[in-house]
Amino acid sequence: MSNSKTLIKIKPNTYKNGDVVKVSFMVMHPMETGLRKDKKTGEVIPADYIKSAKFEYNGKVFTTMNIWETLSVNPVITTYMTIDGAGSLKVTFTDSKGTVEESSEEIKPKG
Amino acid sequence: MKRRDFLKNLSLSAATLAVIPTMSFAADEKPKGSNALAYKDALAAITGGKTPEPSEKVSLKVPEIAENGAVVPVTVEIDYPMTDSDYVKAIHIFAAKNGNSRCIDAHLSPANGKAMLSTRVKLGETQEVIALAELSNGNFLIASQSVKVTIGGCG
Amino acid sequence: MRKVLQIALSVLVASSLAYGSEQFSMSDADRALYEELLDNNPADMMLASGSEHLDALGGTASLAKYLEQSKDSLASYLAGFPRYIDKYKSVVSIDQMLQAFMHDSGKKPYALKSSDMFDISSYVKSIANEQPINIDINANEHMKKAYALGKEVFNTRRGGRGLSCYNCHNPGVVGRILRTQPLPDISAKGNASAATWPAYRMTKSNLATLQKRFQGCMENALLAVIPLGSKEMTALEVYFTHEAKGAPIAIPGLKR
Ligand code: HEC
Repeated sequence: MSNSKTLIKIKPNTYKNGDVVKVSFMVMHPMETGLRKDKKTGEVIPADYIKSAKFEYNGKVFTTMNIWETLSVNPVITTYMTIDGAGSLKVTFTDSKGTVEESSEEIKPKG
Repeated sequence: MKRRDFLKNLSLSAATLAVIPTMSFAADEKPKGSNALAYKDALAAITGGKTPEPSEKVSLKVPEIAENGAVVPVTVEIDYPMTDSDYVKAIHIFAAKNGNSRCIDAHLSPANGKAMLSTRVKLGETQEVIALAELSNGNFLIASQSVKVTIGGCG
Repeated sequence: MRKVLQIALSVLVASSLAYGSEQFSMSDADRALYEELLDNNPADMMLASGSEHLDALGGTASLAKYLEQSKDSLASYLAGFPRYIDKYKSVVSIDQMLQAFMHDSGKKPYALKSSDMFDISSYVKSIANEQPINIDINANEHMKKAYALGKEVFNTRRGGRGLSCYNCHNPGVVGRILRTQPLPDISAKGNASAATWPAYRMTKSNLATLQKRFQGCMENALLAVIPLGSKEMTALEVYFTHEAKGAPIAIPGLKR
């Protein structure tokens, strides 16, 4: 399960089988580049960023991503997916420290 | 009057505030980290040296002027089929002058239904943002646009 | 005399500002791109935390009960903050009301400057989304006084450069450029500050309340920073909120 705060949004929020909908994944993450200095201590803040994400719908991986520290803090990523039956959309992401987390959203097509 | 005094005292203590805090992350962040990779090398690593074709099929939406470098919206949409036999295999976004020019690579499949990738990137300075589409037939399409980054403001 | 000085100063500030059209003015297409970001505002995650914090206190139902409101009247009641609440004998913002609510529910109140407080108070204000701001500065003497004090804080020149909020936030300078940023229009019409804060600040990557935003301007304009929740700060919020009266609430905002 996810320790990080995440949010998955599907747009539009009502859809049916066969629809191609927007899926957005958001996660609260500092996306530290490893190059910034702490303004108070002057010490370099170690790199800490999400480096990959995998989008899986009813057990089938349909998109994978390599992500770099150059994405904004609290990243938001949007792509499309084709609705093909009720079930769940799962986003698994890995950060640069090797921590793997998961976040999911129920898919409920109307018709 | 009591209230006035309160405000007056505040204004006195304000004089001891020395400098205006800087707000630019660009200034103290000239990236040269362990992931540093120049744009032409990052591109070559993906294309294997093949020349991408500049194409109107790649729509790259970025602001001409970014109101801040910390959150710059980038949307890439490829006007291309997404069928089992012919589809966009990947969309890559680069920022040419960032120390690590790579922002994100999205490996797609026909199940996406539409080839689109949208996110927000950090830009350390004014530069080109590039979108590269990798097609299932092995070809590459490319588009780029320059983004002017402003800094400043209040608070 | 004081007035004359003030006008002179505002001319001085204005003359050092460039017009929006001269440098870095944003095109409509660019503005549309930034508006699209609102669809996926990172602050949505913070408000989701806020909603969980409220659930831990019994949710909207128990908040409505605490405020002696019905389920239906709660949103419009929340659209009237800051307001005078008799049992506290003072004019309070939503965050201070929530502190009292937590205290009265036997919980330890979140500090005003804590991110937990920003999360829950933003969520609670968002319950009033789409409601027009209905602050009533004539409701009673306390509100009248708070408004007058807020206006005074807004107009008082202080600090290292003798600036007041008014110097940079008056109809005459809206849209002019200061340190590459156009001066915002803080009153009604479209993007009223009080209707769009709390907001996610892209340059800070966090959620900030209106009072927190005031502090940002105070720091940068070299005005000593007034504490969150102080009488002056709440009064300033009353002043800004009255300026935005009638504007539909849209929380969380998304700002540079
Ligand atoms: C030196 C000029 C200056 C002074 C003085 C100043 N501000 Fe600002 N203020 C700005 C600028 C410029 C912005 C927009 C900056 C940005 O986008 O980062 C701003 C933004 C704001 C905003 C956010 C507006 C919105 O809705 O996005 C608020 C609220 C605000 N100021 C309140 C105040 C208050 C209260 C004071 C007095 C304590 C004050 N300001 C004093 C220049 C000033």
